[in-house]
Amino acid sequence: MGKQEQLAEKLKNEWTPTEEVILKRRSVRLYKKEQIPEFMVKRIIEAGRFAPSAGNGQPWKFVVLREPEIINGITETTIKICKVFKSLIDYRIPGKRWRLPIAKFNIKFKPAELHPVPFGACTLIADRKLGLYHGASTAILIFKDVRGISNPDLDCGIAGQNMVLAAHSMGLGTCWVSFSKLAFQYTGKWKKRLGIQYPYKFVTSLAVGWPVGEPDGIIARPTHEVDWYENGTKKVVH
Amino acid sequence: MANLTFSEKRRIPIYDDPAQVEFGIVEFDYEKCKKCGMCIKICPASTIEMVDEKPRMTQKLECMACSDCVAVCPEDAITTTRNYRYTGYYKTIGFGNLQKPRL
Repeated sequence: MGKQEQLAEKLKNEWTPTEEVILKRRSVRLYKKEQIPEFMVKRIIEAGRFAPSAGNGQPWKFVVLREPEIINGITETTIKICKVFKSLIDYRIPGKRWRLPIAKFNIKFKPAELHPVPFGACTLIADRKLGLYHGASTAILIFKDVRGISNPDLDCGIAGQNMVLAAHSMGLGTCWVSFSKLAFQYTGKWKKRLGIQYPYKFVTSLAVGWPVGEPDGIIARPTHEVDWYENGTKKVVH
Repeated sequence: MANLTFSEKRRIPIYDDPAQVEFGIVEFDYEKCKKCGMCIKICPASTIEMVDEKPRMTQKLECMACSDCVAVCPEDAITTTRNYRYTGYYKTIGFGNLQKPRL
């Protein structure tokens, strides 16, 4: 057996360490208060720095927040904005059914932002039933350079996932937090406080911290139809 | 074949109508459950509640089948039995059964 065949044979029976991190990564929404070591955050950022990007443009800016005052402040601003949205469009409350046409009108304009899941999340955030950074001691904000090549949002996502996987491989927990976009989109307060100006625009952020319990683990997910073209035929696999 | 019909593309579903927006479902094995409450603490949709010292799903289902509760449960007492399913503009397309990672 050649070297490639041997390697392939071995892989049939076990996941690689990288695959294990990918498969076990769960979004962590309960963190310990204890701060994570500085070197870990630096290593996470290194993982982001070495992410692939269109034309090697690296169109990102990372902002590390390790001050509860700022993390909580961004959260509070987001809660305020969610409260406004909730009072305008949440038609699921008894007696507020009249909001339905207003909600539908808004959903038509912003279908991605007002999909059933973020719609529900927005009301939960407004009611303080869903946190934003979940008490994580560190948050990493990801801003894109709007002048980036092709699709800088995608590059920021790739860099973000690199950071997430690096963090989980160190035993840390992470959660993608994009709701805080509202605090940058609808107010100038945090842009000003953090000195964010053109060409940078908020894309997403990550909560990073020590998880409570053992939230990472294997779960079931739906399979997806995959079209497969080979030897002149098409098949659909799951 | 088109993935969505013309009317599906145009129709915004009613979010609290279970016929139009079907959320995920998790089931609890009460023999294994030690009532630690971790599932309730971590559920992003606040869709698990403790009733008579037993965790169960709330009436207002908003579960997105993230299965974080399944992973966090130290007793392996939770299973996701149904994935979400949306209709109209948000119609779920090409989804199969729930399966664990396959080697």
